Amino acid sequence: MDAADFLNLFVSAMLLAGIYAAMSVGMTVIYGVMKIVNLAHAGFLMLGAYFVMELYERLGVDPLVGAVLAFPFFFVAGMLVHWVFVKRIPVSDQPTLASLLLMFGLWLVLQNFGYLIWGNSDRSILTPRTLSSLHIGPITFPTVRLVVFGAAVTSIGILEFALHHTWFGRSVRALMQNRYAGRLVGIPVEKTARLTFGVGIGFAGSAGGLLALLYSFSPDFGRGFLLRSFVIIVLGGLESFWGAAIGAMILALVETFIILVLPAGYQPAIAFSLLVLALVVLPGGIAGVFAKKHRWV
Amino acid sequence: MTVGNLQNTSLFSNPRWILGAAFFAAFGALPWLGLGPNFTRLMFTTFVWITASVAWNLLGGFAGQVSFGFAVFYGLGAYTAAMCINQGVNAYMAFLIAGAVAAAASLAIGLPTFRLRGPYFAIATIGVSEAVRVIATNLQMTGGASGYRVAEHGPFRPLEHFYTAFVLAAAAVGISAWIRNSKFGLSLQAIHEDEEAAADIGVNPLTAKLIVHFAAAGLTGMAGGVFARYAAFIHPQGVFAFNTSVAILLMPLIGGIGTVAGPVVGAFVYGLVQEELIAAFPQFHLLLYGCLLIIIILFEPRGVMGWIGQLYAALRGLRRKSATASLR
Repeated sequence: MDAADFLNLFVSAMLLAGIYAAMSVGMTVIYGVMKIVNLAHAGFLMLGAYFVMELYERLGVDPLVGAVLAFPFFFVAGMLVHWVFVKRIPVSDQPTLASLLLMFGLWLVLQNFGYLIWGNSDRSILTPRTLSSLHIGPITFPTVRLVVFGAAVTSIGILEFALHHTWFGRSVRALMQNRYAGRLVGIPVEKTARLTFGVGIGFAGSAGGLLALLYSFSPDFGRGFLLRSFVIIVLGGLESFWGAAIGAMILALVETFIILVLPAGYQPAIAFSLLVLALVVLPGGIAGVFAKKHRWV
Repeated sequence: MTVGNLQNTSLFSNPRWILGAAFFAAFGALPWLGLGPNFTRLMFTTFVWITASVAWNLLGGFAGQVSFGFAVFYGLGAYTAAMCINQGVNAYMAFLIAGAVAAAASLAIGLPTFRLRGPYFAIATIGVSEAVRVIATNLQMTGGASGYRVAEHGPFRPLEHFYTAFVLAAAAVGISAWIRNSKFGLSLQAIHEDEEAAADIGVNPLTAKLIVHFAAAGLTGMAGGVFARYAAFIHPQGVFAFNTSVAILLMPLIGGIGTVAGPVVGAFVYGLVQEELIAAFPQFHLLLYGCLLIIIILFEPRGVMGWIGQLYAALRGLRRKSATASLR
């Protein structure tokens, strides 16, 4: 492998990392504030993909605009889900099996609702952008990946800004650190939780729409990405955005470069094995390892 | 579990044992009532589901470790039995080997993942299950994604299959009832409620979880083996599929986890409803189960058994009311 091949692989891994980060951010906020492992994330990624497809095929809306439009739509859907189901689950500082199974039930419903409406054939979104690419020197940038990367990074930037410069963002960060202290200083916990759930699901919908530009999808679409999201947030230490970004990069690099040593068919197994490995070996994420070292010094 | 149950551990002193035995005897007699081959087949499938469902409940219901990975054991059992039968091994020997292989796999999976608690364990088992499925799909030795054929010489005997599955399901329920009423069952319950507290009173959580995982995996592996011999053709997207794990998880959750009868009831509901719906609406039954799961988690965590209990209590209340009314 020469330098150009290496650079090309590296660039595609980084572009992949952007969309991976965007799709796992939604899971991170929900986990951070409510300590809920959102298995229904997969269902909303899938619905996001179909949302963008329907807009594109029926109304001719550009898929990129569709992915942006998905956010408010799924934001409202997420708040509704919180209002109807999630708030009925007892609050806890540890993730509970009840919430896990509730979200799992919701995922089953969404997935099979998808099968009822769209059938089980694979769909994809083809635009003029899909097959074009940009060449800079020896490096090839597939346009669609570049665009998706840009959209993903922008959305994370907006969220990061909102978290640091709005009252909602400050309450979210406070609740992530300590729910009781947050309540003591007067943060409306349930309202913030509802909004957070909306934001998390909104991100899932948008990320699903962006993923639909890169991959074909069926109602079973989200499962592999759910596990990837989970690897990423576990690597990132579960509650940190920067951790999630680093986790996304690690996963993308490993997945991209592993094809040099393993047959491509085994590639999906990498994320799943990495998930088990990360959970068992690095329960505090990568940041946790550094924190531990720091404590020893 | 109440103290009363502890004192009634001798066999047949508890009417539930007799009820359970009668229930199974009735089902054992079913093929002789002339209900036709389709009914025999349906009951065979249900018995395989009962075995897996009861096995899942040993770990998920008694010990509280929810696993999304039982398709690993089911698939391993199916493939092991299939390969043994193709090598000319006696079918029943093949089932035992299938159970042993699945049980051995349970140790390899349990040792690392049991360090995780609750939901983290559940998520890790999804990872294991998906990784194993991908590997099985790509493995050349077993035909990869195109599946594996079981070539057994001799005629096809539906009744033999029926009774194999029947005996296995009855054994699974027996083991489940025995564990429920044993000291080991109590330590599992303690782990379910609070692992630290269980460790404090002298239960080794890791050992207990590994043992019960071992037993559950062995039973599920045998169920997979019995299914493989019956189906004569297996493929990774069937036996190793995520939906297989989901089915094995849903049955006890619907029936009522942590009880002996719950998983059996759940398997019946699942088997029969799936049978009715799968032809017309291939995905509709899972939609239904998703809704059912949400309702169960939100309103009645004990599942169908919980509803039966409520109904029973309500009826008793009515009778008591009418009794007092007639006294007046």
